[in-house]
Amino acid sequence: MASMQKRLQKELLALQKDPPPGVRVDEASVTKSLSTWQVDMDGAPGTLFEGEKFQLLFKFGPRYPFDSPQVVFTGPNIPVHPHVYSNGHICLSILTEDWSPALSVQSVCLSIISMLSSCKEKKRPPDNNFYVRTCSKNPKKTKWWYHDDSV
Amino acid sequence: MAEANSKPGESLDKALPSGVEYDEAIMAQQDRIQQEIAETSQLIGDHEDLLLLSKEYSEEDNVYQGKIKDLRSKYKCFRRTRGDGNCFYRAFGFSYLERLLDDRKDLERFKEVAAKSKDMLVSLGFPAFTVEDFHDTFMEVVEKVEQQIPVEDLLATFRDQGLSDYLVVYLRLLTSGYLQQNEDFFVNFIESYASVKEFCGHEVEPMARESDHIHIIALTSSLDVGVRVEYMDRAGSEEVNHHDFPEGTEPKVFLLYRPGHYDILYK
Repeated sequence: MASMQKRLQKELLALQKDPPPGVRVDEASVTKSLSTWQVDMDGAPGTLFEGEKFQLLFKFGPRYPFDSPQVVFTGPNIPVHPHVYSNGHICLSILTEDWSPALSVQSVCLSIISMLSSCKEKKRPPDNNFYVRTCSKNPKKTKWWYHDDSV
Repeated sequence: MAEANSKPGESLDKALPSGVEYDEAIMAQQDRIQQEIAETSQLIGDHEDLLLLSKEYSEEDNVYQGKIKDLRSKYKCFRRTRGDGNCFYRAFGFSYLERLLDDRKDLERFKEVAAKSKDMLVSLGFPAFTVEDFHDTFMEVVEKVEQQIPVEDLLATFRDQGLSDYLVVYLRLLTSGYLQQNEDFFVNFIESYASVKEFCGHEVEPMARESDHIHIIALTSSLDVGVRVEYMDRAGSEEVNHHDFPEGTEPKVFLLYRPGHYDILYK
């Protein structure tokens, strides 16, 4: 537990001091134990999401950074993207199978910005309705089937 | 996208558990298996007689019994490691640092190599502040070795899951770093990934991803530490075959390979 908080403290400071473009930690959302944060994100200029604003919710377990954080889109605007379900769940391999303890909140944000930026057509995943109806609240409890890194 | 375990449709929904129940059941089972492994085996075990190995195979199994006999003629004993997908890194890390307790000269060389490795990783684009965390912990353990702590203390470090995993992460990063630095060479051995970087992101950096020859070549080359792997598998005669990594170096660490797993051997 102590190493989780030490690490998150370090990450929080780094992200406040030197955030990637379009990314801001919502300081009021950070819980005392550091186990939940909200991050505001702007759609990158020159992409289909330019001008849109999104919120990401990060939850960290006691085994962080060995276990990946739970990350979902939250708030009024969930990006319409082939890897983002309308309940905010994101299909991105580094959030489950390919998570490495050397990754960080910042690298997750960068991967999500890059995923949104390479989108060519705004649409929901083909199985959105079925998934949203049946899934667990925690996206880490879904056995994701990563099939296309190019979208 | 989410794995479609069953097709959408009302009647089917009622007849079968939903996708999420399958998923949760599979993951719960995987967790249970991991927990069972953790309860029954230490991250690094105590010294054990190689004779104990022969009880794990049928007496009529001539190939394995022959190989164990051969192994006993070459080694004194062994330590088991936990089969959690990190066994190669943990076995290598512990066995080499244990050896450095008695080899001052090599320790000085290794300390220098290890100290420089952080900048190498950062220059490859690994985020400095996460690498730093793992590097610092790694160097603290190297310094303890320099102070010649008793082997029991080193063992306790490697048996402490939190600390031990920090060390495994750093060894994984070094492996990834070496592969990426020598991308032109290693790209020839990578199948089903578009680049060495992508391979590392999937097969090296995440915890619990198992090691193959390519990982061993990279880590041993990166630290310039020779490792001999004794292969105990179905192949060939009643003698164990060995392979030295990197090829032609004098081995300082001896590992026993049985399909999917590495334990530590002692001369």
